[in-house]
Amino acid sequence: MSGTYGLYVVRQTGIHRLHPLTKLVYVLVCLLIGWLIPGVWSPYIVLLIGVVPVALIARVLPEVIKNTIKTAIPFAISLIIVQGLFWTGGTIVRQLGPFSLKAEGLLFAIRGTGRIILAVSGFLLLNYTTRSDELMLALSQKGLPNSISYVVLSTLQVIPRFQRKANTILDAQRSRGLETEGSYLIRMRALMPLVVPLLLGSIVDIEERAIALEVRAFSREGAKTSLLVLHDTRFQRAIRWLLMLGAMAVIGWRFYLWLAPRLA
Amino acid sequence: MERLKRDFSTISLAMIPIAIAINIAVGQIVKALRLPLYLDSIGTVFVGAVAGPWVGALTGLLSNIIWAIIFGDVTNTVPYAPVAAAIGFLAGVFSKYGWFKVWWKAVLGGAITGVVASLLSAPITFYLFGGVVGTGMDIITAAFRSQGMSMLAANFLQGLATDPLDKAISFLIVYLILRALPDRYIDRFSRAEDVR
Amino acid sequence: MIRLDRVSYSYPRATSPALNDLSVDIPAGQFCAVIGANGAGKSTLCSALAGFVPHFYRGRLTGTVEVAGIDIAASSLAELAGTVGLVFSNPFNQITGARFSVRDEVAFGLENMGVPRAEMETRIDYILQFAGLAGLAERPPFALSGGQQQRLAIASVLVMRPRVLVLDEPTSQLDPVGSREVFTVLRDLAATDEATVVLAEQKLEWVAAFADRVLVLHEGRLVADGLPGDILASPDLQRYGLEPTRYTRAARAAQAAGLRPEGDTLPVTLEQAAEFFA
Ligand SMILES: Nc1ncnc2c1ncn2[C@@H]1O[C@H](COP(=O)(O)OP(=O)(O)OP(=O)(O)O)[C@@H](O)[C@H]1O
Ligand SMILES: [Mg+2]
Repeated sequence: MSGTYGLYVVRQTGIHRLHPLTKLVYVLVCLLIGWLIPGVWSPYIVLLIGVVPVALIARVLPEVIKNTIKTAIPFAISLIIVQGLFWTGGTIVRQLGPFSLKAEGLLFAIRGTGRIILAVSGFLLLNYTTRSDELMLALSQKGLPNSISYVVLSTLQVIPRFQRKANTILDAQRSRGLETEGSYLIRMRALMPLVVPLLLGSIVDIEERAIALEVRAFSREGAKTSLLVLHDTRFQRAIRWLLMLGAMAVIGWRFYLWLAPRLA
Repeated sequence: MERLKRDFSTISLAMIPIAIAINIAVGQIVKALRLPLYLDSIGTVFVGAVAGPWVGALTGLLSNIIWAIIFGDVTNTVPYAPVAAAIGFLAGVFSKYGWFKVWWKAVLGGAITGVVASLLSAPITFYLFGGVVGTGMDIITAAFRSQGMSMLAANFLQGLATDPLDKAISFLIVYLILRALPDRYIDRFSRAEDVR
Repeated sequence: MIRLDRVSYSYPRATSPALNDLSVDIPAGQFCAVIGANGAGKSTLCSALAGFVPHFYRGRLTGTVEVAGIDIAASSLAELAGTVGLVFSNPFNQITGARFSVRDEVAFGLENMGVPRAEMETRIDYILQFAGLAGLAERPPFALSGGQQQRLAIASVLVMRPRVLVLDEPTSQLDPVGSREVFTVLRDLAATDEATVVLAEQKLEWVAAFADRVLVLHEGRLVADGLPGDILASPDLQRYGLEPTRYTRAARAAQAAGLRPEGDTLPVTLEQAAEFFA
């Protein structure tokens, strides 16, 4: 969790300079293809062809890898245990005490892990290379209400302050001798004095924040302008259309695969 | 339509960022206390109670999306955004029928919301993530599985082990906050008459 | 520019009025300070000028509040934005957070008003310079100090070119350094003679330094109205729960001790004090 722009990593690369929608559509299409095309290894193939090279060009590959692994490992472990060991029926590849590892379950776990890795890395790639204010502006230009854009961006900046506040309250209550250790019941009882001041204080803030917004013509109807400018090119627009057409073709094909045996 | 416009007033919109920040900050405190709860939807429930189901739903939805951006993790966040939206929505519905005026009704409303949340989460966990959530909770799923239960049912029961209690406590905390706040701060919200 | 005619107002659940039969005229270009003890009604008056009383707080308003020819009660907050600017105490709450740099934060109001981009640029450049924020233009707003954030709040409102600027104790949550920064900006504003400003303030030293006129509120009523020198040196001040400035207090002590003749005009600023004791 870094400063202002959410996860954005400042780099001067062509990927960073792309129009936010180009990156958004690209990542979504990668996810869609990786998840929909049958086969245990398809998410990994899309990952290697679609995500890794772009992350490399954008010079965020180490960050992408590090944080993807952090999220994916617990999933992989859970999948291997829950699916690999508890697959009903299936071919036993190895006996582990009372449990047996099943081939089908293992393949399922591999595919599931691949899907998660693809989703996490694609999401990170988008966020590392795209400022959230630019992404929200691009979406507003496509018809997302301005108020949603306000909410998202404002939340991103307000949160670090609240996290600090939460830590301050925790420390203050601890130093006043409030039990934050001990049995569940004791810690449960510690919860209220921690949470209530945080909530009451911030709910009182809401009124002033609303007034400040009104002063800045927030609820004024009519056309709005923007100081920020996004650079789009005809080439990028064409790419976005092609990607979306490709995605639709994959969806259609997948649907056909699903439907054909049912009609036969 | 008129009602909806009033629900999405400037004060509601100013409240959503604060509510989401509360979700995350309280979630963080609960984690620091190592409680077997999340309590990461208190802000959402509050918004639903004072600004109605639709603003509550929007808060839940955006909360999960923003959680993903802040912590860089899409897995346990974005896919469950509809569940978070449902929690905010239900808080709004219960509030409409005056359930935030009586403590035990708030607790009951929270418990029901928790059951609905487990029902909605299970298929997401099952179809998207092969039945796991990547946390210690998966042990519960594995235990039900080893009893020969179907994966979907195991996912539902795994949710049921925490969600109703978690949401009941969240609703109760919101009830207490609503009692503690001076009327003049609640007056400002579009559904103030429902919670007082 | 501002005309209040027999204005009374009560908050929704209040038993007594927060403003009680207030009438006052403030001409264009005047820098008018409003002083009064806690709960005297300063903030309520500020809210009434900006339309939040009654449009936001609801409650009962009687009489007329007119700003720049607009009848506040008959107008709406969306219309009033840009006509009346309001700045209040808490800097954090005034920053929208929806913009990631000081420059973009200042632009927020202009964007909502649909001001063309080129014009935005010139107006923002000018106002950042004026508020002493030019060097911080690219910084994230929440990374600024309290005094800087408050100057940002003032700049963000001024850039919309309101006909009237209303400030409600803009330094009460700042440290002395931050307060001084903000007052420096206000002094520059007072010096332009173009801006019509209403400033609710408890720090009387500053009021004395640059206000053209002082209004005293007490329990919702206007109890005094005049030049800073007359009002702040008046012996009535304490009756309204206000402390005279340290210069006035020192001068009074000097008179009481017989060091200075009774009847001399009492000083309210440092300069006047220097003269008084010379
Ligand atoms: N939102 C509100 N709802 C109800 N009563 C209010 C509200 N705000 C202020 N009041 C009451 O109205 C009266 C005037 O308050 P106001 O805030 O205008 O005073 P003030 O001069 O600004 O005081 P301070 O120096 O404390 O800021 C007080 O009695 C106060 O309790
Ligand atoms: Mg006040």
